[in-house]
Amino acid sequence: MPMKLICTVKFVPDPDSFTAGRNRLILNPDDACALGFALAVKSGDPGVTIEVVTLGPLSVRPHMEDLLRLAVDRGTLIWDSGLEGSDAFVTSRVLSRYIADRPCDCVLTGSHSLDGGSAQVPVQIAESLGLDQMLGVIRIDPDRFDPTRAVFQAVDETGVTTWKMAMPGVLSLTRESGYKLPYPALTDLRRDVSEDVNILTSRDLGFSADQVGRAGSLSRVAGSYPVTYGEKDPVVVGTDDDGITRVVDFLKKKGVCR
Amino acid sequence: MKQTCILQDTETPEKTRDLLAAAVGMYGRDGFESHVVLVNASPETFTGRFHHVIRVAEGLVADNDPRAITEILETLHQTYGFDSILIPGTTLGKMIAPRLAWRLRTGLASGVTDITVRDGRIEITRPARSGTILETILPEGPGPVMMTIRTHAFEHPPEETVPTRISTCSLPVTTRSTLTRLGVDQPLESRDIRDYEVLVAGGGGAARCFPALKPLADALNGAVAASRKLVDQGIAQRHIQVGQSGKTVSPKMYLALGIHGSMQHLAGLRGVTSIIAVNTSPHAPICRLSDMVVQGDACEFIEKLMDKLMPNPHKNT
Ligand SMILES: Cc1cc2nc3c(=O)[nH]c(=O)nc-3n(C[C@H](O)[C@H](O)[C@H](O)COP(=O)(O)OP(=O)(O)OC[C@H]3O[C@@H](n4cnc5c(N)ncnc54)[C@H](O)[C@@H]3O)c2cc1C
Ligand SMILES: Nc1ncnc2c1ncn2[C@@H]1O[C@H](COP(=O)(O)O)[C@@H](O)[C@H]1O
Repeated sequence: MPMKLICTVKFVPDPDSFTAGRNRLILNPDDACALGFALAVKSGDPGVTIEVVTLGPLSVRPHMEDLLRLAVDRGTLIWDSGLEGSDAFVTSRVLSRYIADRPCDCVLTGSHSLDGGSAQVPVQIAESLGLDQMLGVIRIDPDRFDPTRAVFQAVDETGVTTWKMAMPGVLSLTRESGYKLPYPALTDLRRDVSEDVNILTSRDLGFSADQVGRAGSLSRVAGSYPVTYGEKDPVVVGTDDDGITRVVDFLKKKGVCR
Repeated sequence: MKQTCILQDTETPEKTRDLLAAAVGMYGRDGFESHVVLVNASPETFTGRFHHVIRVAEGLVADNDPRAITEILETLHQTYGFDSILIPGTTLGKMIAPRLAWRLRTGLASGVTDITVRDGRIEITRPARSGTILETILPEGPGPVMMTIRTHAFEHPPEETVPTRISTCSLPVTTRSTLTRLGVDQPLESRDIRDYEVLVAGGGGAARCFPALKPLADALNGAVAASRKLVDQGIAQRHIQVGQSGKTVSPKMYLALGIHGSMQHLAGLRGVTSIIAVNTSPHAPICRLSDMVVQGDACEFIEKLMDKLMPNPHKNT
């Protein structure tokens, strides 16, 4: 049986343009790897189906269209103004209700999103669906990835470990995996996919207004401020003999060397 | 008296104690009773430190099973009605905390680095947007305050001992994960860069001579660390990466060789006593935070410094 895969994707402000006023959106790098892996599986077995789903503002629609120009079978965008201000809990709740109705063999996600970066959403999706889940996945063995089980490698504090997990399950990849999105075929580049993004609201999924957005959220971000560091007035030296001697003196003074 | 529950750090059990500092931040030193849940450690390390050590009965759960551990914590919460549940920000912790928060229908602050109380309200701080900003989170709702604590962000001083009660939890566990460890492919060195007082860190400007950092680190009784640039390039291993997506370090001396000092890198430096930056550009952001800036080539610097530190008697003969 060819596998049915669902990839959750999030579009995040490009960190390189954070300070440059308006934020350009990019596909979260971890998610690009997860989708890159899914597309690689599909290129080896055309029967595989891939659906991408995102919860985000309508402005991400063109980005979803870009993904549909790859070999993605279905793209779903969940949004309405009531979803604004949703925290990770609401995001997980909405995404998992959608996924619950679309049986699949594996949910592929990123481990962290660049802007939130809490790795909370994939874990809560798994909990809600009653599935196992793993963070930090860097490689999935394509020969041992089927509707019954997956064998994969993941990184954590102890190093790289090979795991086996029953499917369906949730696998969360990191950008260290190095899986890449392919380029769309030239014919697909011009394909009009504007009607193909499936757009749903939280009401379509049966949520009431008080269950989503700020009202449904369990945590409140009261404010944010830029990180600052204590500045010093450094001594500047060169790499000449005098400079190196002063470095050694400094190291001695600090008790780092004798 | 507030009740706080702390899950054991399964990787480095001794670090579990540092999570007490987060509870102190919320309730003051004497304002809470601490319960620690042990998954794979023996109670000795914890007696005198926590008021209540809850040992999970031997063989009840595997120490890598997030679902079973979540269930144990949920059951314990039903018994004790914790005011807060603190989970180490390890990979395992990150796979447990959101599950538990989901079950308890409570908010979760992830990767917390600071806690204060202002006007009687708990304010939780965590880095966001790849470490460029800090967010303040206010816990809401009836559920316990839940958070994962960024490794090394808190430090709990060894204090006078408290009387410790030890109990065993042998409640039945119904949900287990199917995760099986097939093998460890790349074990890491046992000593962590966070354990050193001196770090010799290399970045893009030291890529060319990265292996030369090791003898210098050895000469200074320190360890080698790296920026993400070198990790991404495959020159350095991930477990020595300093920064937002790497480790938070607090050495006494940090030598930043060819490191620019991006926000994400600086996010990993906490309470470093002294910094020496070696950079071809004195305008690199790291320089402003340094005690001493060596303007020049990192590789040349290493070579000359080594010559000074360990004069080679055969060199000029
Ligand atoms: C979500 C996210 C998370 C991130 N997490 C981390 C993280 O955890 N840790 C981290 O480090 N980065 C992280 N980064 C990347 C970070 O933004 C920077 O890209 C990275 O830190 C740059 O590394 P660098 O300073 O070593 O290299 P570069 O930016 O290449 O800087 C090299 C520096 O060396 C100097 N130099 C050049 N040649 C020489 C020479 N011959 N001798 C001496 N000096 C020289 C240059 O003047 C420059 O200052 C993250 C980025 C994102 C988006
Ligand atoms: N709004 C969202 N829409 C779709 N997927 C999401 C969303 N938020 C988070 N995710 C998924 O969860 C992963 C981890 O995100 P986070 O929990 O925000 O660190 C991301 O890499 C995505 O795969």
